[in-house]
Amino acid sequence: MTVAPIADASEPQTAMRRADGPAKVRGRAQYSADYAEVGMLHGAVLRSPVPAGRITRLDVGAAESAEGVVAVCTAADQPATRAGWVLQDQTTLAIDEVRYEGEPIAVVVAATRAQAITARDEIVLEIEEFEPLDLQRSAQDGARVIHPDWADYVPSMGEYPREGNLAAIMTSEPDGVDEAFAAAARIVESTYTADRQYQAYLEPKAATVSHDDGKFVVHTAVQYPFNVRDRVAQLMGVRLTDVRVIGETIGGGFGAKLDAAVEPLAALAAKVTGRTVSIRNSRQEDLLTCPCRENAVVTMRTALDENGAMIARDVVVDMDNGAYSGEMPWLASLPLHIASATYRVEGPTRVIARLWYTNTAPTGAFRGVGGAYLYSALEQHTDAIANELGEDRRAFRVDRLIDDGTPSLSGQVLEDAGILRVAFDELEQVAPWDELLADVGPNQGIGLAAGVWMTNPMPGQATVRVNEDGTVQVITAATENGSGAVALGITRIVAEELGVDPADVSVTMPDTAVSGYDAGSQGSRTTHVVGRAALDAARDAKAQLLEAAAELLEAGPGDLVVANGVISVAGTPTVSVPVAEAAAAALWSTGPISASGSYATPPIPYNDACGVGVMFTAMATPTYHVHLAVVEVDPVSGRVDVVRYIVIQEVGKTIDEVGLRGQIQGAVTQGIGYALTENLRIGDDCRYLERSLEAYRLPLAVDTPTVEYRLLEHPDEAGPFGAKGAAEPPLVFVAGAISNAVAHALGRPINHLPITPEAVMDVLDGSA
Amino acid sequence: MIDVNIEINGAPTDLTVGDAATLLDVLRDECGLTGSKEGCVEGECGACTVLIDGSPVDSCLYAAAACDGRAVVTIEGLSTGPLSELQDAMVEAGGVQCGFCTPGVIVVLTALLERHPHPTPEQIRVALAGNICRCTGYAQIVESVVELTTGARA
Repeated sequence: MTVAPIADASEPQTAMRRADGPAKVRGRAQYSADYAEVGMLHGAVLRSPVPAGRITRLDVGAAESAEGVVAVCTAADQPATRAGWVLQDQTTLAIDEVRYEGEPIAVVVAATRAQAITARDEIVLEIEEFEPLDLQRSAQDGARVIHPDWADYVPSMGEYPREGNLAAIMTSEPDGVDEAFAAAARIVESTYTADRQYQAYLEPKAATVSHDDGKFVVHTAVQYPFNVRDRVAQLMGVRLTDVRVIGETIGGGFGAKLDAAVEPLAALAAKVTGRTVSIRNSRQEDLLTCPCRENAVVTMRTALDENGAMIARDVVVDMDNGAYSGEMPWLASLPLHIASATYRVEGPTRVIARLWYTNTAPTGAFRGVGGAYLYSALEQHTDAIANELGEDRRAFRVDRLIDDGTPSLSGQVLEDAGILRVAFDELEQVAPWDELLADVGPNQGIGLAAGVWMTNPMPGQATVRVNEDGTVQVITAATENGSGAVALGITRIVAEELGVDPADVSVTMPDTAVSGYDAGSQGSRTTHVVGRAALDAARDAKAQLLEAAAELLEAGPGDLVVANGVISVAGTPTVSVPVAEAAAAALWSTGPISASGSYATPPIPYNDACGVGVMFTAMATPTYHVHLAVVEVDPVSGRVDVVRYIVIQEVGKTIDEVGLRGQIQGAVTQGIGYALTENLRIGDDCRYLERSLEAYRLPLAVDTPTVEYRLLEHPDEAGPFGAKGAAEPPLVFVAGAISNAVAHALGRPINHLPITPEAVMDVLDGSA
Repeated sequence: MIDVNIEINGAPTDLTVGDAATLLDVLRDECGLTGSKEGCVEGECGACTVLIDGSPVDSCLYAAAACDGRAVVTIEGLSTGPLSELQDAMVEAGGVQCGFCTPGVIVVLTALLERHPHPTPEQIRVALAGNICRCTGYAQIVESVVELTTGARA
């Protein structure tokens, strides 16, 4: 294992600005809600006002005759089919029964949005309420079964263990755990809880759909257009390719725009009316129905021998699936990869992860998914063990760091895990631990968190065209969610390989009828996976270009180099031809220059006997991270300020540092919100207590520190120029580092996220 | 309905607006000025910010009828030629990611720079307290203004 900046002449170095920047600063970028068609109608969605019950009356007569109304769509209008990413347990509109507050029941379609909203309020809806089930009540013996037909639901990607209110269960039960606990010198046990986190992207969801001759055209701003295509097709009962999804500029997503939301509602309305229909969420609709990061309860027990070695661990995680399944069953096995990550446990670890249906909005992916609370639990538990043993928290960690070749609990061999030690050393250079401890001020505390994270392995494709004017067109369904992965990453990778100015490279917006399959902006995959596909395509296109130039220059293609838009004979720069001229000549000799590349991370070997229900089997293309937080607690208000935050991140290879830094700063800020202020509580009645951006407290400019960071470069063979995923992991470790820093400041831990001022005051005044 | 005359981006404009119509809805739906964004309609996010007589205002909460005889400048009015120095700095320094908050941020910072040509980082952060950016974590937005106003940019 080596970690050092690579000195490669071909590495990206051209200065560039993000391709979508000018349109965005001028207000010219077209987002989903900005898209409009002549004659378009507007839909307003009637949503369930209660979290659980049977619909006893739905009278849309008055709404149908209201001013401007064209149609009111109800469950009777939808195909008799169910759909879902992992499990087909959903319909477009609720049939007979509602299972969460905000579940769609009807769509009013009218000439204007205001008319649709006014008419929606004319619908007569009566519901016989059931006792709503939250995580705790759903898991009780004898609880009402939220989906009585659960056994008939069809899995989309193969069956997995599930039963009744258990939407998924993963168990990994190696021999020897109970024996180790029985023999332990001491046992440390802690339970951690986390509330939900709302992605709170600035653009509420919106979509515009038309339907003609059995085919749907969907204009929407989503992270994973092909997934939205699939969901609309399943729900409308048509072939996948009968739905065409065309991407608009994405006003933020962070995982919440990977699956369909308003698109099927607009599709149904378009089918019923034969007109183009636009539907957009109000902020409150958006918050109430968003697939938030799930709330969870994590219990960790660790057995220690008389020397302080960790000889066994026992972990139980209960996760809230919400009322329908989305992506969650697939994510339910994530705890296996984190339960004993980072620090050596010299014995067996048992992991049981249970995902429960509840009468709350379906949960889903938010940057770093469950990793954000699982690593927080692991790191708080690690502090608890170090404190129990009376050991220094950093020394305890460094002594037990996993090393190169350590197998994970799923049997994946982490070839380069020794990078963790390099990262701890780098952190020590930036902020020596003993100095930090010596300098810690009143009411201040320091916390650490570290670990491994993945680069999503799912497939992507890109086509590169070299035009006869010397510009380059990249056609891909990779989505620019704001991260810069397309506007900086793909653009730069292709420009670099072809030797042209990045300003001469443009990337199309996604269109599922035009581009090859792409698995969307998730898990930091775009730069790595689509970047690799685009690089392969650019290499092929370059070979075609050089062949055309070779004929013009009467030289061998192997003797040619291309730089700054000019192809020349190596060592004889005066013998040259512009890229434009060679591309134009190729039109009439070999035909237009065009090449495609496809890539998916090859399957990673793991031990398929490691557990039952392990759908998420490995940390693909892993990267390694160490975070440190210094916080200060205000003893009067309970407010916690992050006064210093340091990220040491292994990245493979930096493609654009301005963009990469933005991902680190932005992810850490979201992590600070998760750790401290973003409270999204589920009340006893299964309704959210925070229901607006006023109540749901996002980090503001005045709250946010400037994050310090150091990048470790360790190029990956498969990645473009060595790049791995970088945008997601800087969120994953933040809550752990901050929780430990707060515990250090207070002298005792708070085992719940977020750590609100109220929770801090409860500790300070002794009531907690 | 109320008849109003509003100077929008320098052009006097006659409009007939609903009594309760917000300035944001009138700008987006009647005037085709979609650069101002609807993020919350509760005055929390600032994506809809425009200048009314030079002061930044959340247009989602402001009645269009109250703009009669006043001058409104939107992001489009600040984008009539080449990129402004501020817009240029925002792109260069990484102050833009998804871009949905960006029009409101540009409007607010333009007003700030009118009043304080050399703001401190703290003044910039306070000026942005009404603008939520979910992507950037703010640092590169603040730095873009600092670099612009201190000449730190090359």
